[in-house]
Amino acid sequence: MIYEGKQKIWSEYQKEIPDDHYFYVRSCIRQSFFPASEAAFLDITRKKLGKDIFETEHHTTCGGIAYHSDAIPQETVMTIIARQFALMAKYGYENYVCSCITSFGLYCETLETWREFPELQKKIAETLWKTCRLDFAKPKYIVHASDLIYHYRNQIAALAKHKLINVHTGEPLRVVEHIGCHYSKMFPSKGVGGAEYPYVLAGMVEACGGTVVDYPERRHCCGFGFRQYFIKANRGYSLSNTYKKFESMEPYHPDFIVTNCPGCPYFMDRWQYVIAEETGKTYGEGSHGIPVLTYEEMMGLVLGYDPWDLGLQTHQVGAEPLLDKMGIQYDPERKYLGAKGKDIGRPACPSCIR
Amino acid sequence: MRNNVLIIGGGPAGLEAGANLQRLGYNVLLVEHSNTLGGHLGKWDRLFPGGTPASAALDKLLGSMDGVKCFTDTEIQSINRLGKSYNVILSNGITVLADAVLVATGFDLFQAEKKEEYGYGIYDHVITNADLELYFKTGLDTRINAPRKIGFVHCVGSRDEKSGCRSCSKVCCATAVKQACEMKAAFPDAQIYCFYMDLRMFGRHYEDMYLEAQRDYGIRFIRGRVAEVSENIDGSLSVKAEDTVSSKPLKVSLDLLVLMAGMRPSVSGQRIGSLLGMQNEKDGYFEVLSEITAQQRSSIPGIFLAGAATGPKTIPDTLADARGAATQIDKYLSDIFPKAKDLKQLIKTAW
Amino acid sequence: MGKLYDLLMRDYRLKEGLNACINCGTCTAVCPAAEFYRYDPRRIVDIVQSKDEEEIEKLLRSDTIWYCGECMSCVTRCPRKNAPGMIVMALRSLSIDLGYFIDSEKGRQQFLLTKDLCSNVLNYGYCVYPRLFDYAGHPEAGRVWEWEEKHLDDVFERLGANLDGSGPGAMRKIPKEDLDELKRIFDETGATARMENVRKAAEKKAAELGLSMEEFSRQVYSETGPQHYNH
Repeated sequence: MIYEGKQKIWSEYQKEIPDDHYFYVRSCIRQSFFPASEAAFLDITRKKLGKDIFETEHHTTCGGIAYHSDAIPQETVMTIIARQFALMAKYGYENYVCSCITSFGLYCETLETWREFPELQKKIAETLWKTCRLDFAKPKYIVHASDLIYHYRNQIAALAKHKLINVHTGEPLRVVEHIGCHYSKMFPSKGVGGAEYPYVLAGMVEACGGTVVDYPERRHCCGFGFRQYFIKANRGYSLSNTYKKFESMEPYHPDFIVTNCPGCPYFMDRWQYVIAEETGKTYGEGSHGIPVLTYEEMMGLVLGYDPWDLGLQTHQVGAEPLLDKMGIQYDPERKYLGAKGKDIGRPACPSCIR
Repeated sequence: MRNNVLIIGGGPAGLEAGANLQRLGYNVLLVEHSNTLGGHLGKWDRLFPGGTPASAALDKLLGSMDGVKCFTDTEIQSINRLGKSYNVILSNGITVLADAVLVATGFDLFQAEKKEEYGYGIYDHVITNADLELYFKTGLDTRINAPRKIGFVHCVGSRDEKSGCRSCSKVCCATAVKQACEMKAAFPDAQIYCFYMDLRMFGRHYEDMYLEAQRDYGIRFIRGRVAEVSENIDGSLSVKAEDTVSSKPLKVSLDLLVLMAGMRPSVSGQRIGSLLGMQNEKDGYFEVLSEITAQQRSSIPGIFLAGAATGPKTIPDTLADARGAATQIDKYLSDIFPKAKDLKQLIKTAW
Repeated sequence: MGKLYDLLMRDYRLKEGLNACINCGTCTAVCPAAEFYRYDPRRIVDIVQSKDEEEIEKLLRSDTIWYCGECMSCVTRCPRKNAPGMIVMALRSLSIDLGYFIDSEKGRQQFLLTKDLCSNVLNYGYCVYPRLFDYAGHPEAGRVWEWEEKHLDDVFERLGANLDGSGPGAMRKIPKEDLDELKRIFDETGATARMENVRKAAEKKAAELGLSMEEFSRQVYSETGPQHYNH
């Protein structure tokens, strides 16, 4: 593999990311399964870096999951999106940052469709006024939350308490990055690094001392597939796609996986558990799996946040081997405590994976 | 007084037109921006369909150039209409008054790294058709290491709107079949695949070459465009395509992948085009006055075209096109400069 | 041109997503569904561009159009700038609007998807609501979710979320006036009508099959035949 070839491509796909003043919208899946990641994003950007990231309780889903499960028409999702954009303008913002890749892809697609079909945009603007009494607006810049962390990666690395380096060997940690299909597969120029060799996560990993593992099925979907997961009868689709990725990355012995999209870390974490329970196979060292992190969790660990504040206890694959490699102190006794040290029991142990 | 003809471009088209115009009695000046004559032909090893050595073809072209003045390493600095002629200033300080100009600026190979999903310049064992010809000539390429499974990818930078190249590059299908057979001859144990969309074996003997590839060389033809390439841990390549004949996705591991980089309008030619104010067609190549009856004429009087400057061509196509251009130029000069024609006649009869 | 093709061409996803297909197969080559199911997105695009009414109707009533995971990996690859995934979305919308979805096993799943996802959006302002994500229905969510589900309020509080709380924050309660706006958007843009159509078609189908809605739902959620898979 010739690294300079990738660098050349990265240099060609650098999108403009404003430094400050964003209207922030949450993700259906990230806030449900990784709420601490959204909290970490806001804490890092607002408190550590002093940025203005504004959130209003009045924003909602973009409707993307329902739309991609074919439950709502395109006009519905477009009007919900128009409502989100209108709220942004109403609160005096022109930069929009979203916490979800499905949303990000859908925003890019919607803006493109409006550009191509002005009569449709006009209709959506009218519907928005009729249903919500809001004025139609479009963001000047639209970024995914990971784009912002990428943009701040060197500032974050300068504040690092831990590096993505194995403290026992001094070697860089080997990281698999998983981008999430809707980030740049539809609009390569909208993603940092493009569609084939995206740099948004690789840039964070490199800034923090780690090294990125490129494996044959790197570009393949995690297997969410919307209806292919929501309906129990279809879940074999989801599982088989994750399985394919793990079989492909196994020979590279990655220390952990970092993800961009809110759904992917759930699937890549949970299907490892299912593969282990069904077949006894684990992909990490011994009976461990490969820890799967969100990028907020990764950067949170780098900045010295407590792993249990970041929610790593809510993953099925334990992050402890990674914490040990990074030299992070943690208290196993506090792992499953509730707020203010409240004892809320602990999950049952899976039989095959730790 | 003999008319001056300026030829811009020293590839096969420029050379063949130059030799013919010289024979017709014109004063020919050929300007080449690089340091050698021969263009892409000079970098090729053998030519389809019969395997003629490219060097033999080039030697023949160069051997017919008696009397043609050639400037290599020379650019056109300016070119302006002056009466019936063109006043041309060259980068070597020489000024020429040309009565006709032939633009034979050829093509550039598509930059295969732009087809990012194929990993040229990133994966260790991905090469282009041009790299392979150089290997055939020199025997040197560290990326080619006793390959046992080899793939040829047709249509790289051709018939691809994502790469901004809608048109077919015409020569790649035949080149791929030729190179596949040559690789089989070089590595008899190798299994070789050609991934194609349509096999465009349009020329005389090309279909025979295809038949031989299947029958005598055991080349496997898979009807499906390569969608994605990645590198395995052992450095081999994982290649995905659909076998559209059986409607099944296909993944194969290969030791070497050869990208059939297509033709694009040459960048240096486009510069000449803008100096002259010539129009391009949608495919980026120069506009011709009529695609049926006046292929070698531009819409500007006195400016002629030959070779791949007006779209992808094989070597024989290019040479025929160049000879056609020479005839067209001769006709034009005879019509526009009748006195010069008389002189020519006089010289001919006198001698 | 036929009637179904005309209806399809009203969809912006088709207007944008269908140029002439060259049948090269790059979409199928990288399609996660094509490896798992008996599925070839190239064939779907080819059928649509053939404008063959009979074939298009067959497609709209088939399992085939429901195999796609809408990952849009195909969109990156197409050399003709087609978007097979978007074409599938347009086919699905038409299949739902015409009631054809109910004819296939995978199409019938639309009943549950529409019911559950739309009610989540209308009731909670998000497509997913963790209190409705049960370990019993999602055993793959792991023992950790089994525990989390039991202690959802404590875990969310521990992680700095605002489950069902007021003001901003993760999984906050969305104010009534905002949910009302979503409802008006649903009414105005055809989502409510789609919910109704899908529900009625499902009830009719359940009656035909002699199943209660509960039995029908269970069957749709859990059961699948062996004919779908690519062996």
